[in-house]
Amino acid sequence: MIKSKNLRKEVVIFLTNMKNHIIYADHAATTALSVTARSAMSPFLEQQYGNPSTRYSLAREPRNAVVEARKTIAKLIGAKPEEIFFTSCGTESNNWAIKGTAFHYIGQHKRIITSCIEHHAVLHSCTFLKKLGFEVVCLPVDYEGLVNVQSLLKALTENTVLVAIMLANNEIGTIETIKDLSLVAHEHNVLFHTDAVQAIGHIPVNVEELGVDMLSASAHKFGGPKGVGFLYKKSGVEVEPFMSGGGQEMQQRAGTENVASIVGMAAALKESICEMNINTIHLNNLVEQFKERMKVSKLDYIYNGSENRIPGSISISFKAGDGEMLLHRLDLKGIAVSTGSACNSKYVELSHVLRAIDISADYAKGTIRITLGADNTVGDIYYIVQSLTSILKK
Amino acid sequence: MKKDCCIACGKSDLSKNEIGINKKLIGDEVKIFYCLNCLAEYLGVSTEDIYDKIEEFKERGCNLFD
Repeated sequence: MIKSKNLRKEVVIFLTNMKNHIIYADHAATTALSVTARSAMSPFLEQQYGNPSTRYSLAREPRNAVVEARKTIAKLIGAKPEEIFFTSCGTESNNWAIKGTAFHYIGQHKRIITSCIEHHAVLHSCTFLKKLGFEVVCLPVDYEGLVNVQSLLKALTENTVLVAIMLANNEIGTIETIKDLSLVAHEHNVLFHTDAVQAIGHIPVNVEELGVDMLSASAHKFGGPKGVGFLYKKSGVEVEPFMSGGGQEMQQRAGTENVASIVGMAAALKESICEMNINTIHLNNLVEQFKERMKVSKLDYIYNGSENRIPGSISISFKAGDGEMLLHRLDLKGIAVSTGSACNSKYVELSHVLRAIDISADYAKGTIRITLGADNTVGDIYYIVQSLTSILKK
Repeated sequence: MKKDCCIACGKSDLSKNEIGINKKLIGDEVKIFYCLNCLAEYLGVSTEDIYDKIEEFKERGCNLFD
């Protein structure tokens, strides 16, 4: 029952405009470039095109812009500017942190500990190292997707070089207890890396408070451009450079700086952190609205993940459902969501995350991920629930 | 009604793509099928939308489609 007159009006306008309207509910996949980020980038895509490494005056503005972006990002996450290294994306940051650490300590330490719900950028980096003779331990998670501190404690050995556990999971939104986990790793003199790609810009992130040695981030997850990210590497932490070439990024990551994108990333991160509180309230309200509407749908479903989760993130599994079918049917209705299962003609393959949380077989196949953003409205939620209900009851 | 006939209009000899798109958009355990026009009507979308979906699945290499 829609009680508010304004809300009813909003829904009517919304439904009228639906034909050409896309409801984007896959913000964990990527976000639109923010207007602020685009404006900040614009001069460096046009007149300020100088290479920051060159010595003439045309390079001055781009060079200063990179310096300022580094300072801005460092301040926003409680780091020092010299601890921020610009990369091409979160995947590169993860690859660099894991492989760079392993290669630096090659011949000394061989064990790498991670969790079984990491992004493939982490898991596949570990698989690569395994082929080179490193020992990889994937910690299990509980039904909420949480890594247990005791299980990390048991896995740590004198031979361990690195622990890599994500800050927030991309599929189910669960936020890990990184502060506790990093403390345990440090008590055993082991470095700790966290993949914060899904978290940064959405929840408060302070590297000092988290106690991490390295942290990966990607701009396009918080309103920045695609093709740029950064790695936080604490002063004194030594890893092998990922890219060989020029002396950019303090001799650690060669390659001409992606100036416009770096500037856009800093602007987007500043904006998303400034607006975090108000966005969190809005997103929590949308999730509540979703859950309230779902209650009256009479569908059989379960939610996945922890209560402590990324704002606006919903992982829902429908009994006897088909996640891939739902994705495409919702797409035909102008709604973009993601699914946790992929199928071919012979079988349905569940994601490694859904398998790890040991979701009931009756529900697993019918899992979709809805990740809302600041631009989503209550009208969007009503339409998503109405669409899900009509598809599943048809 | 034969398995490869449209449940709505009776069109016979449904193609592999028609059977495949029914499985993708209605469910992989579906036992009755629609032709493309009737499927579009059933789902409340245009036939063009259905063709676009078939192309998407083909591009992804799904072997339910020719």
